[in-house]
Amino acid sequence: MRRLFIILGFIASILAVILSVTPFSKIAFIPAVVAAIFGLIAFYISRQKQYPKKSIQLIFLLTVISLTITTYKAVFTVVEVGNVEGLQLKEKESEENAIEELEGLDLEDVKTDDTQELKELDSLR
Amino acid sequence: MKHLLTYIFIVVGSIVNAQNTAIGTSEKLTFSASYNMSGLLTEIAQVTMETSSVKTSNATLLKLKCSAATYSSFDNYFKIRDLYESYVSPTTLIPFLYKRDINEGSYYKFEQYKFNHKVNTVNSNMKKRKSEQNKTVKIGNNTRDIVSTIYNIRNIDIEKMTTGSSQNFTFLFDNEELIISLKYLRKESINTNLGKMECYKFAIGLKNDDALKGTSENLLWLTADDNKLPVYAKFKIAVGTGELKLKSATGLKN
Repeated sequence: MRRLFIILGFIASILAVILSVTPFSKIAFIPAVVAAIFGLIAFYISRQKQYPKKSIQLIFLLTVISLTITTYKAVFTVVEVGNVEGLQLKEKESEENAIEELEGLDLEDVKTDDTQELKELDSLR
Repeated sequence: MKHLLTYIFIVVGSIVNAQNTAIGTSEKLTFSASYNMSGLLTEIAQVTMETSSVKTSNATLLKLKCSAATYSSFDNYFKIRDLYESYVSPTTLIPFLYKRDINEGSYYKFEQYKFNHKVNTVNSNMKKRKSEQNKTVKIGNNTRDIVSTIYNIRNIDIEKMTTGSSQNFTFLFDNEELIISLKYLRKESINTNLGKMECYKFAIGLKNDDALKGTSENLLWLTADDNKLPVYAKFKIAVGTGELKLKSATGLKN
């Protein structure tokens, strides 16, 4: 039983460390808590039966590392959009192409009323 | 994950053939898209919806743009740079040209629809990295593109809808007509980034596609004012659940 909880604790704590360094770091809280629970159970059993506790200490160490990284990232990481220069250039190019495409389409329906309405909308701004 | 942003757009989409009373010509709405796992929200991307006027030699159209870009922390893992555009009539929001340019990780796709409303057809051009396809697609009278659908939802006369009533709308996506169902649930006050607001709450479902999972887990809140801003949306898709929250709104019409 002790061995089972140690193995499960290791798996959960390693998963927590891996998740904590990815952008999904907040999710690392779940395996970290699970690892801590398994570690505590294994520790309790080991203490009762006088078994060595080195491996359990390693589980706690990994758990603390993952929780530290996750908490640090949650507090100090600023959420910001990456480089969108390419997207902006693509958008500009796309609009130029779209105007050419629209010239070839039948826009009879929007020639009069809509254009007038748009002018009115612009004047409201 | 590949079509995550697409599904986000679907969540806030429907169609009506109404006059435009809610959308201005220089409106900018900025959203934050989050992935939810066991209540732990991870902000993934920024979604922007913008309008502007575009002039051709014989008409002035309204350009509706939706773009999505992952936050910098995700760019190394799964970079998304999506651009959706629709050139529509400023009064009725009927689309004439639709463009979709998606870059999601290693996946790339370009799609262009030219609408011919007189004969109810769409000239479709679809490009992937190694293939290109041109096709003429027959569409129904009220079939639009997804972007004009998203904006059109705000022109629904919601006050006339009764609790539990629903409307079905059709839009063309990947050369297929999809039917979206919009069910009005009730009025509700929710906390948003713009303060506490009274909103109309809707349940959304796709009738002939399984992109959106569940029957009542895809929800949309529109502000109960003349702008009918989509302030909050919750959606369930194959890879989990997510949220879309309005962060800022400028250039509003009303």
